Amino acid sequence: MRVNGRNNLALGASAVLSFSLLAATAGFADDKSKDNDAADAVKTESPIKHVIILIGENRGTDHTFGVYKPRGKHQTISNILSKGIVNQDGSPGPNFSLAQQFSVAAQPAFYIGAPKNAKTVYNSNGQMPQPNTNGTPTAQGTTGAPFTPAFLALAAGLDPSPDFNANTDTILTTGFSNLATNSLDSRIPNAGVLPNGPFILQGPNISDDDYTGDTTHRFYQAWQQSDCSTANATKDNPTGCLNDLFPFVMATYDLNDSVVPAVQKNFSEGNSMGFYDAEQEQASLLKTLADRFSLNDNFHQSFQGGTGANHFMLGTGDAGFWSDGNGNPITPPASQVANPKPVAGTTNKYTADNNFSNCSDFTQPGVAPIVSYLEALPYRPQPNCAPAHYYMLDNTNPGFYPNGFRAPSPAAQNMIPPSPVRTIGDALNDKKISWAYFGGSYNDAVALSNDAVTAGIAGTLNSSTALGEAALADPKHSLGVAYCQICNPFQYATSIMGDANQRAAHIKDTVDLLADIQADTLPSVSFGKPDGLLDGHPQSSKIDLFEAYVQQVLDALEAHPRLKAETVVFITWDEAGGYWDSGFIQPIDFFGDGPRIPLLTLSEYSTGGTVNHTYADHVSLLKFIERNWKLKPLTDRSRDNLPNPKMRDDQPYVPRNMPALSDLFDLFDFDHRVNQPFLE
Amino acid sequence: MTHTLRALIAVNVLLTLSIGAFAQSPAHEFSADIVSRDAAGAIVGASAKLHVANHKVRIDPADGSGEFFITDDQAGTALFVRPAQRLFMDAGQSSTLTQIFVNVDLHDPCRQWQAAALVARTPVTGPWQCERIKSDSASNPHAIEYSVQAPRQAISRSWINPGLNFPILWQASDGTKLALENIRIGPQPPGLFAVPAEYRKFDPAALIERIKHSDVWAGPPNR
Repeated sequence: MRVNGRNNLALGASAVLSFSLLAATAGFADDKSKDNDAADAVKTESPIKHVIILIGENRGTDHTFGVYKPRGKHQTISNILSKGIVNQDGSPGPNFSLAQQFSVAAQPAFYIGAPKNAKTVYNSNGQMPQPNTNGTPTAQGTTGAPFTPAFLALAAGLDPSPDFNANTDTILTTGFSNLATNSLDSRIPNAGVLPNGPFILQGPNISDDDYTGDTTHRFYQAWQQSDCSTANATKDNPTGCLNDLFPFVMATYDLNDSVVPAVQKNFSEGNSMGFYDAEQEQASLLKTLADRFSLNDNFHQSFQGGTGANHFMLGTGDAGFWSDGNGNPITPPASQVANPKPVAGTTNKYTADNNFSNCSDFTQPGVAPIVSYLEALPYRPQPNCAPAHYYMLDNTNPGFYPNGFRAPSPAAQNMIPPSPVRTIGDALNDKKISWAYFGGSYNDAVALSNDAVTAGIAGTLNSSTALGEAALADPKHSLGVAYCQICNPFQYATSIMGDANQRAAHIKDTVDLLADIQADTLPSVSFGKPDGLLDGHPQSSKIDLFEAYVQQVLDALEAHPRLKAETVVFITWDEAGGYWDSGFIQPIDFFGDGPRIPLLTLSEYSTGGTVNHTYADHVSLLKFIERNWKLKPLTDRSRDNLPNPKMRDDQPYVPRNMPALSDLFDLFDFDHRVNQPFLE
Repeated sequence: MTHTLRALIAVNVLLTLSIGAFAQSPAHEFSADIVSRDAAGAIVGASAKLHVANHKVRIDPADGSGEFFITDDQAGTALFVRPAQRLFMDAGQSSTLTQIFVNVDLHDPCRQWQAAALVARTPVTGPWQCERIKSDSASNPHAIEYSVQAPRQAISRSWINPGLNFPILWQASDGTKLALENIRIGPQPPGLFAVPAEYRKFDPAALIERIKHSDVWAGPPNR
């Protein structure tokens, strides 16, 4: 294994005289309009020679486009406005009760379909758990976002990270709450007495430029929130997911109400019901892109829960599992195994909110309700749980550090051992098709990893903690803590991360994505992930910061018309972040699907403000790549084996041949090319 | 004889000519170039600049950025200064140079190197080992040679000038070297060793705390 050892006293002396190796990569040359593009030579099924997949954090379809009216001729959309749940100004609409939420009386066992007689609807006068600031920044910070203006310049000077630019400089200083953490978010109009249903995140004191409280988004919580039961099934909703326990689960899964006073350790409360109004200039860049290109309103997070598992599915079409590091499944330490069974005497406090389950074993905690539900569905989806495999359900750092250092005792450090699961990167390698994962602040994370290795803490601490410790000792590279390890599916993979040549060729920084566009050396397939400052995650980032990241990439492409003409940019999210959504959910296996997330498709062949309804999820992006570059499904169990949906005429959101996933080709009209700017 | 050692002899001859007064004076001020050489003795890259004024050391890296480091072994600080951004920060492990080029006790240099490592927040998992090596008087008559081993690291070698009480050559385990050349004894401008009062200090702790509220942070407890 090769590890870069920047601070090792025993290393070559010449290296330590150079302090600005990264800075040397920051400058871009002018476009020379020459075609150096190796990807052009690769045969593809469509005119698309490059795909860029940009992934934001934690925004759902109704949360972002709930109040959006398509601009394309005769286009329709399924959202809370079209359903009459809210009016165009975000106020409760005539069908507001369709979104009403419930509480559930204490049950003896974990459930995903709450017994009807145990459910109680919240009243319309603030009984529903109300929005909470949770961890929202109270004030501007000296080194944490939102920065004071003076310190923004200082932070910008840390390194050549593209985080700090004309698009972000102002909005990285704004949006603090002026409220205490873990308190009622009184910036939201009527907070405290909000009626039972979705509420608009807009008012004199709040907009899409404000940090807001996060809401938990974990596997068992998400299944429980979805409230799925075949007993609830209807013609339009044949899988029977009611999505009506969102605030309840947030308010109870970590509430010990068996004691007086009750002990609450989670403050998500009612945050899941917040949404933005795109018709009132919220998320305005995303709206403009939807107006000019194509939006899919039936695209889903592929995994119930959070970031790590969804990105893993995006890269593999599968779930990761605990292994011996050599590809063989083994049982993880008991401290890693989840048990969502309610603690006796509490309403719904989970016994052990951990990250792994052996879903092949009906007797394992939490497994039976989900598998039983799948078996009861008319299309009987397989759980896809291999025997004796403990699958990663929630965020767990990879067994590799960003520099390739392999954690010697991942179990002791809450890290998953290196994964043998085949990735799309492996498939592209086999066909010698170029690809890269561009992670924001990756270069700094490598520097911090080198520090941690040198200091000896990489072998003893979880990698997040170790990078934090390293950042305190190496402030110059401190932005490396904002690089998202669990967002990079290839960082889990032995085949990629355990090979120094593979790492060097394929794992890069945002600055490299911009440089590749500039130099006309963009790979055929690119994944772009902003760092934690710009990823749009509530509480730690904002929607407009993710928009700024997107704009930076689009601006770079706009300057290179030849490259732009043969590139599709997909913009999507890792998951809905725990935000409530009114859309149909197609359970595919034990792991998902979950709620809808937006998918924007930007290309010269997907214009006009169209809205596509074909059922899709993250794995559809894999299917697009595989079809365009003529690859086979990754494995015999990966989700990319599923057929394309045959959509019902009478219900355009429900496939007739479930389970099924689109390969997204029907988002394009390759006979109709429109050359237009990304943004007006 | 290698290029490095020839250069070292030349340096020390010059030093010997001027060191007498210095060695007897409490004043301890000089400047030098820090030259990097490969194992064959060839110069690699541009030179960094070193200034020493008693207990303070300033190092200007070779990258032309204008950034520099100031260490103060009395105060126990090592700062990284970025004039373009008008900020400074704890240097930490930003540069190995701040941990190598420190004032040392000729008879117990490991004490100072270990102290510099602590200032750099390098976890100390064991004592440093310094073993004095019998001088090769033919090639290096005026420097005291040590074999140096930091915890968990390979053995390096260092030559300390007895007049300066300062390392003038550091050889890494792969044979590459950092050498002080063009040493000039004399007073150094005090302003070189001061951080301008209007500069602000950057501390990454708040950044880390903010990131803990995102999904980027997957350390325990898991959320």
